[in-house]
Amino acid sequence: MDNNVNNELKQYIILRFDSEQYGIDISYIDNIVRLMPITRVPHTQPYFLGVINLRGVIIPVMSMREKFDLPFKENTGASRILIIKYEGANIGILVDEVKEVVTLKDEDIEKVTSDDVEARAYVTGVGKYNDTLISILNIPALIADIENE
Amino acid sequence: MDLSQYLEIFIDETKEHIQTLNDQVLILEAEPDNIDTVNEIFRAAHSLKGMAGTMGFKRMQRLTHDMENVFSEVRNGKINVNPDIVDVVFKCLDCIEGYLSNIVESGDEGTEDNEDVIKVLNDVLAQSESVGSAPEPEAKQDTKADAAEDKSTSKSDASDEKKKYLQIPIADYEKNAMQDAKDKGMHVYATTVYIQESCLLKAARAFLVFKGLENKGEIIKSVPSVQDIEDEKFDFDFSMFIISEKSLEEIKKVIENVSEIEEAVIEEFEIPSVVEDTTPKEEDVSEKKESKEQKSEKKDDKKAAAKTGKPVVNRSVRVDIEKLDDLMNLVSELIIAKNGLVSVTGAMAGSDQSFNEQIEYLERITTNLHESVMKVRMVPIESVVNRFPRMIRDLSKKLNKEMELIMTGEDTELDRTVIDEIGDPLMHMLRNSADHGLEDTIDRLKLGKPKVGTIRLDAYQDGNNVTIEVSDDGAGIDVEKIKAKAIEKGAITEEQAEFMSDKEAIDLLFMPSFSTAEKITDVSGRGVGLDVVKNKIEGLGGDVEVSTKLGEGTTFIVRLPLTLAIIQALMVDISGEKYALPLNSIVTVEEIPSDEIKYVHTKEVINLRGTVIPIVRLNEVLDLEPVESDSELDDDDSLIVVIVKKGDKQAGLVIDNLLGQQEIVIKPLGKFIRVPKMISGATILGNGEVALIIDSNTLV
Repeated sequence: MDNNVNNELKQYIILRFDSEQYGIDISYIDNIVRLMPITRVPHTQPYFLGVINLRGVIIPVMSMREKFDLPFKENTGASRILIIKYEGANIGILVDEVKEVVTLKDEDIEKVTSDDVEARAYVTGVGKYNDTLISILNIPALIADIENE
Repeated sequence: MDLSQYLEIFIDETKEHIQTLNDQVLILEAEPDNIDTVNEIFRAAHSLKGMAGTMGFKRMQRLTHDMENVFSEVRNGKINVNPDIVDVVFKCLDCIEGYLSNIVESGDEGTEDNEDVIKVLNDVLAQSESVGSAPEPEAKQDTKADAAEDKSTSKSDASDEKKKYLQIPIADYEKNAMQDAKDKGMHVYATTVYIQESCLLKAARAFLVFKGLENKGEIIKSVPSVQDIEDEKFDFDFSMFIISEKSLEEIKKVIENVSEIEEAVIEEFEIPSVVEDTTPKEEDVSEKKESKEQKSEKKDDKKAAAKTGKPVVNRSVRVDIEKLDDLMNLVSELIIAKNGLVSVTGAMAGSDQSFNEQIEYLERITTNLHESVMKVRMVPIESVVNRFPRMIRDLSKKLNKEMELIMTGEDTELDRTVIDEIGDPLMHMLRNSADHGLEDTIDRLKLGKPKVGTIRLDAYQDGNNVTIEVSDDGAGIDVEKIKAKAIEKGAITEEQAEFMSDKEAIDLLFMPSFSTAEKITDVSGRGVGLDVVKNKIEGLGGDVEVSTKLGEGTTFIVRLPLTLAIIQALMVDISGEKYALPLNSIVTVEEIPSDEIKYVHTKEVINLRGTVIPIVRLNEVLDLEPVESDSELDDDDSLIVVIVKKGDKQAGLVIDNLLGQQEIVIKPLGKFIRVPKMISGATILGNGEVALIIDSNTLV
């Protein structure tokens, strides 16, 4: 994919947290799985819930809510674990709900100019789709942040 | 021509040849007259040259060519092996290794011509030509005399010598078969077929001989066996017995019609009587020996033979380690799937019997499959330690100390992943022994010790562990010296030093940037080393221990798990979570009444049969709430304590419940999550759940 072309079409997976919607570039997604038993790991980063066994591979799972300082919410039947593949390793992200896959043009995504640096550190831009706003997550930045901690 | 697909094979084989050369030149240094070794070296050098040429590595080819020339002269007795030649050959091998590492990295041999080494090699050659004609006849005569002697003994009866079939023991039933055939008016022939030594496809030629003879009669016995012949496990001759109606000439013609057959010695066979049975047994042994010796014998007989006779090789396949890893993962997955199936069947009430039998069958197969794959991953440590003799030789020269390395247990096997990592730590320890451990030669003589220092590397399997000991008969570790150094460096205070046990003081050696060597040498003593060694070995799930006796020597004891991927573990329940404790560090499991817990410096300890053992409450360490003790049992006043050891230290780990012993597959926890030191990995249980593995070494 050539990122320099503005009219490039990209697919995003849309996640919902309360009233907010986030999008993740589908090329990072390896798998989406239903909730399964998570084994707690002691003394690790607070937003890591633990590890799961996905077909024989052990994958750490973090909570999106914890990481983004969103209020705690019980898991529901709609909760999913997104398995992200990045630099050859996997990480799972627990999300409230996976809504749909949408296709956005790069020109539909506006760069973030918010002053709130803290909150916007992991968002590359905001896309518009059917009159709703979608914050596009910056996966490399998110993972770099985890690794540096 | 695109040769890149052969590059990997080239690299592997070149490594092997370099290793052979290193080994053999070391032998040659010790026994300069060993003609077998010279031949071996010549062969390896020749193959190296050939391969380098084929792959288009001109510089490497040139260097190996000159090296081969030197050995060609040595073999012809024109050059005597002396320390200078050995030195230059080693230098030459280093250069070849340099080329090889360039090739590994970039696919290109680089631009270093190594002119100086080539020049020295050529000087050696030139010398031999000028000198070789006159004052060198001693060596020549020596080898010639040797050869002549051999000839006179072995060729005492030249015609019988060629009839190798005479030495083959014949079993009774074979004699009976021959006799039967003879009674029916058929001929029994015995023959030894010689293949030309230039022949490249010996097995194919032999096959043609067999094929031809099958039309004429029946081959009742061949030595070596047909299978070995097909695998080229023979030199240049094989013998057989044939029953046929055809005439001797006809059979002989069939054999000799196959191209590249040098000669077929054939005659009508006189069947030995069945009574002679006792002698062949002895012959059997000598015959076997002889077949091994045949090669060397021949080399003496005909010098040209040296180039060809190939040692019998194991039948093996090179497999990329990644493919093995994949296979291993699949097997683990299969086992997990199987375990899942087993737990489902358990839940189904009254499932029919044949179904259960099939499940059990499946269980057996998966277990065997697992074991086989594990075995495939095991590699003898030889591949790591075989470069050490050469290293010690070089160190000996560099440090100007006389020393020898004795290695045992090179065939001890370890998982491939461990093998790959263990080389550097062992090298560090050997260097350490050579540099710090052994005294200078003069000092040794003063102390009345043997002039030559001994360094030993002993490897052996010990239950589920492999132990590697690196020991020297040097000065031993001076504990007071270590303490003084540690105080000087500010690592400990003088008071601390006073109360320090010898063991604790020796442990200081493993601290980062600690070196007791008074002067920093090229070899070791830069303060990097022992701490790195310790880290690496602990990273592999092993541990290091030191035992030392002042004036007598030091031993480093390295214990490593047999494999990284699979261990026996005790499954335990801690506040409702399941954890695995590796069995190899567990001493016992005890039930201790709560009131036996005592306090020492506010720390909880128990007194177990006279030993005071500190206890660790795992739920606290693991950040868990203690379980509310159920009133139904009187569990309140007793604790389940797993006693674990690390070296000679012990600790008691308090757990809630024992769940049983299980073979577990160790898996990493993934790249991004931060894992505390006490968790060494995770494993997948039968129901698909993940359990963490506790590294008890970090808690002792």
